[in-house]
Amino acid sequence: MDKEILLHVENLNVSYRVNGGWLRAVRDFHAQIRRGDICGIVGESGSGKSTVATAIIGYLSDNGRIEKGSSIRFSGEELTTKGRLAMQSLWGTQIKLVPQNPAAALNPSIKVGEQLAEIARYHLGMNRHDARKAAVEMFGKVQLADPESVVFRYPHELSGGMQQRVVIAMALITRPRLLILDEPTTGLDVTTEAVILDLIRDLIDDMQAAALYITHNLGVVAQVCDQVIVMYAGEIMADGSVKKVFIEPIHPYTIGLLNSIPKLGQSKRQGALQSIEGSPPSLKNPPKGCVFAQRCPAAVEKCYTEKPELEHTHEGRLVRCHRWQEIHSGVLDIIPETQADVEQVERLERESLLKVENMTKHFGVRRSLMEVIQGKKPAPIRAVDGVNFGVQKGRTLGLVGESGSGKTTLSRLIIGLTERTDGEIELMKIKIRSNVRERSADVLAQMQMIFQNPQNSLNPYLTVGQQIRRPLMKLAKMKHDEAAQEVYRLLRAVNLQDDYASRFPGELSGGEKQRVAIARAFASNPELIICDEPVSALDVSVQAAVLNLLARLQEDRDTAYIFISHDLAVVGYLADYIAVMYLGQLFEVGYGHDLFEPPYHPYTEALISAIPVPDPSHVSQRIRLQGDIPSPRSLPTGCRFHTRCPRKIGAICETEDPPWRDDGEGHFIRCHIPLEDLQAMQQQLVMAEASS
Amino acid sequence: MQFFTPTPTLVGLRRSLKAVGKFARELFSRPPTAAGTLTVLFFLFLAVFGPQIAPYPDPNFQKNPSQEAPTLNLREFRLGDYPFGTDRLGRDVFSRVILGTRSIFRAAGLGTLIAVIVGTFVGLFIGYQGAWVDEIVGRIIDAILAIPALLLALVIIGIIRNLNFEPNSWQSEVADNAVLIVIAIVYAPIVARVVRSATLEIKSRQFVEAAQIRGESPLYIIFREIFPSVIPALVVEGALRFSYAIFLVASLGFLGFGARPPSPDWGLMVSENRGGLYALTPWALEYPAGAIALLVIGVNLMSDGIKRTVQKSG
Amino acid sequence: MGRFMARRLAFFLVTLWMTSVMIFLLVRVLPGDVARVILGRDASETQVEAKREELGLNDPLFVQYFTWITDFVRGDWGESFAFRGQDIRELVTQRLVNSARLGLISMLIAIPVSITLGVIAGLTEGKLPDNLISVFSLSVVSLPEFVTGLFLINTVALKWADNPIAEKIGWFPSSSAVRADASFRDALPSLWLPAIAATLVLLAYIARLTRAGVIEEKKSEYVRTAVLKGLPYPVVIFKHILRNALLPTVTVIAISTGWLISGLVVIEFVFGYPGLGSLLITAIERRDLPMIQAVVMVTVSVILIANFVADLLYAALNPRITLN
Ligand code: SF4
Ligand code: SF4
Repeated sequence: MDKEILLHVENLNVSYRVNGGWLRAVRDFHAQIRRGDICGIVGESGSGKSTVATAIIGYLSDNGRIEKGSSIRFSGEELTTKGRLAMQSLWGTQIKLVPQNPAAALNPSIKVGEQLAEIARYHLGMNRHDARKAAVEMFGKVQLADPESVVFRYPHELSGGMQQRVVIAMALITRPRLLILDEPTTGLDVTTEAVILDLIRDLIDDMQAAALYITHNLGVVAQVCDQVIVMYAGEIMADGSVKKVFIEPIHPYTIGLLNSIPKLGQSKRQGALQSIEGSPPSLKNPPKGCVFAQRCPAAVEKCYTEKPELEHTHEGRLVRCHRWQEIHSGVLDIIPETQADVEQVERLERESLLKVENMTKHFGVRRSLMEVIQGKKPAPIRAVDGVNFGVQKGRTLGLVGESGSGKTTLSRLIIGLTERTDGEIELMKIKIRSNVRERSADVLAQMQMIFQNPQNSLNPYLTVGQQIRRPLMKLAKMKHDEAAQEVYRLLRAVNLQDDYASRFPGELSGGEKQRVAIARAFASNPELIICDEPVSALDVSVQAAVLNLLARLQEDRDTAYIFISHDLAVVGYLADYIAVMYLGQLFEVGYGHDLFEPPYHPYTEALISAIPVPDPSHVSQRIRLQGDIPSPRSLPTGCRFHTRCPRKIGAICETEDPPWRDDGEGHFIRCHIPLEDLQAMQQQLVMAEASS
Repeated sequence: MQFFTPTPTLVGLRRSLKAVGKFARELFSRPPTAAGTLTVLFFLFLAVFGPQIAPYPDPNFQKNPSQEAPTLNLREFRLGDYPFGTDRLGRDVFSRVILGTRSIFRAAGLGTLIAVIVGTFVGLFIGYQGAWVDEIVGRIIDAILAIPALLLALVIIGIIRNLNFEPNSWQSEVADNAVLIVIAIVYAPIVARVVRSATLEIKSRQFVEAAQIRGESPLYIIFREIFPSVIPALVVEGALRFSYAIFLVASLGFLGFGARPPSPDWGLMVSENRGGLYALTPWALEYPAGAIALLVIGVNLMSDGIKRTVQKSG
Repeated sequence: MGRFMARRLAFFLVTLWMTSVMIFLLVRVLPGDVARVILGRDASETQVEAKREELGLNDPLFVQYFTWITDFVRGDWGESFAFRGQDIRELVTQRLVNSARLGLISMLIAIPVSITLGVIAGLTEGKLPDNLISVFSLSVVSLPEFVTGLFLINTVALKWADNPIAEKIGWFPSSSAVRADASFRDALPSLWLPAIAATLVLLAYIARLTRAGVIEEKKSEYVRTAVLKGLPYPVVIFKHILRNALLPTVTVIAISTGWLISGLVVIEFVFGYPGLGSLLITAIERRDLPMIQAVVMVTVSVILIANFVADLLYAALNPRITLN
């Protein structure tokens, strides 16, 4: 019954030379992958998952080395001792890498067809003509539209999704037996990711290759992998079939990870997320005992002194934990009862805080000399086009959209970092100016922002204390001493100790930086905070803690949020009200849970269906959007979604702007299809899914 | 328990001292960089204490004034006498090379410093302001940079030189420091351009936007938020400019547009002792030429090291 | 592409115009009193005043600029004071040709050698060849042109002066003071030494740049892709690394050509070669203001044209530019 084992890794240890010393980035790695199987490696940044991939393929960076005693066997052959020339032919035909960032992985100055065809020439012995034909054919296989013309294009002329298809085609053209996929969909939008994942799954099934799929996204693993290896701080924590590991996790880290991501439709009112406090140990002096001990809720004394072995448990699973049996038998329950310390009432209307009307931003396009002479004006880029919404006091408005939807521009328009083309903003019934430089200190104090990348939003040359003190003195008009005390209070509010005040951002982890940024935003005690993707740059385990923190601070201080994210589940968790944005316009607005049940807008429906859910038993509805999001330079007429809408009803969608339809209870959908019809169609799908 | 809350300035000072110390350690950890830095420091020492060290502190001291041409056997390698021999006027080359360091550090070093300061202000300002200010000043900088540095220097000096100034007036002061001023004029736009592009990059970082949304003034943002992040690029550029400035000063001296005879300027010494007489007193040319090369190699090694260190910690 | 070219062209013209204003101001305004500069310190006040009137210095500044620039564009560059009333334009173009000869020969030597050295150094980063090349280029970069020039004269030219073969072919004379209107063939023998001196400076510069380019590309992800495609090493180097690594080198070569053609002041001076650079020195020494203006204008134009060509070349070689 067992298929042939294609890749067998034993005792893999990899070190990097850093500042004269050697750091063990991967310790005791084991894996077996069978033909036709996809094995996922999940882990957060620094877990060593990418190092494993590069070590297996035999292309470590110059400062890395595989330690003695490690073994990587590929269909019986030992790879660690192979010379470069021998590897060259393996690389050419048998073992292929699909890298993370297709834009960087393609040579910018060579046409993509040639980049594919050269493989066929060198390794399949084809001549120029045949190789080109093979390239076109392969592009067809990865579902690139119009492959005959794509071969003549340069990488920068393709969208991210198309580039990723090209890279996949490059990996598959020689029908390799082992594929290593290193976060192949990380930079892509969910709707594109979903299509690519389907493609990868189908192609691998079709070729009966073995694959190693490296990712940080548990949802993706659940959707495409058969096996999964969970890594933490360079070690395997758990290993087993996806079904077992996800449904019946027995390692505290796996349990923590699975519980720290909000499920689709889960709300803060159902309780806080389980977060994994702390941060991973440094590789410089790894802990003596269990690497996870400092963050493990089940840690006992033994965990700090004695290193747990990777044990075989039942059903071919591996786990590295002293207490797995207790967890497995249910003696030890490590999921704490989380209190919902958030007020339960949801639909209670509160007074309006912010009103945004007809918000519009058109970016001018530079005219060419010819156009200036001819007096032509090229169409502007309509990044945000007539958006209306309101925010209530102490409530959260979630704003979801993919890249290019205009959600970030919208947030910058509200805060005043980008000047609006048209529209009005009213904060507490007072109209406010377009440019942040013209706004009074009172207005500034009421509206603050938390940025996406904490790396960037703190000044590396000022201490944490200095950066929090500044808004206190500037906006809250505090005296120096008073402000100094308040800095400590704010730091404690975001769960940081007092001594952080004298540290520099460079000494903090990503999660800690984001806490500081949150403290800074709260310093002036604003009525409204705009959160622009505040958790998307953070690791999953840290994400939960930040989301909990945001929910708690809102409860304590009655601050309203505009919470922007591409991740519907995250928005759904925090938001009371959600708006879905596509190509500069809103298409659906409603209370949190309304969005996750029919009727929903066809675009929302596609988004929901595309999200990889970390539950292997979940069968998605498989609504896939074709093509790419159109350029905001040339917007589709009529309904802007019509070029990709799977529910398009005909010519009317292409010619007429769809009307807003509402159910009378605060749920608005902008579509030509009446709500009842939408509901009926969508209900059917949901039923079908439930019964399958 | 916190008995003593260090004031931010104190903390900042201690931190920056620590940072400078760390930087110096990094710099001296690579042998070539250490050698280069030591060379530069050595010359700097000579520039400061030259008159105290040189056996003949008067650069124009002639051992034997009646003697018009040098004697070949003057090249004696006894320290304290004429270790580098004498030139054709019988002046001690050793002393003149030592005394020459001061003029090169004055013109190249001070000139570069002024260029860096002016360039930093201009670059920060136009980079932050952007829009038309940047457009216009940027174009002007481009226009200046289209003229090769040496050409610009020659024209400016040539013109200043020919003016007839009252002795001791400020104009004559300017004329006397023409090389220094020219270095500043020629390199300030280049520094400005480097600082501008660094500023543009930093301006887009979100901590600057965070400062904007709490209503900080442009001056605060430029100097408190942006400037510290510009320093690494500035240090690298400053070191590079310094090495070019030495070159330029030496070339100007050689072409006869730098220091005037009889000052002990390295470039001038080379040109004074070249030509037909070269075969008679080659040492009088070789030592100053060697000194220039040594100093430039030193500065280049040092700036290479600075660049590495900055990039590593960057 | 057309749009890109139009923009670069506009950019070129604007910069050229601004530089002309700058040169004008530099020469006309900075000295305070052009007439006095021309006549020297001993001229009487009335003589100076007469000269002022003659030169139109009493007109408003922009009128003066306008007169000068229109004359210049029309090709009427005036007469030289220093060269006994010779036509400036003739003199300058003749010298420009000489400088261009020297510059082009230098490029011919420098390009192949420096690129080869740079590529070798880049590919062997941190190993022996790289270290040797780095030491060499660092030393050469640190030597001012007049030092290398004098060194060459004294080692090559003087030592070989008595060598019968060298004498016969006439190569490496110690002075390159050919007649300013010599033909290329006649000038060639005396070009070698200054060309080598110019090459040395450029060599190190281009080699270092190429090395940096190669190292950067070597570490790029698409080169990893190429290696992991199992392509033979030479294919990876020539097809994938060099194509992108040499882009900045090409630009710099184009720009340097401008600098070389427009005159290597120091080298021309050392070797006594009658190029644009040595013309400028004479003009400055003799206070020949119209000549200074003309030489600087020509120099700047050549440099800006070279920059323009560099931009176009970069765009032509880099497919990423074409879109915007
Ligand atoms: S060994 Fe201890 S610390 Fe490690 S995961 Fe198991 S219970 Fe937690
Ligand atoms: S209006 Fe038409 S195209 Fe737009 S979402 Fe509705 S059905 Fe789809």
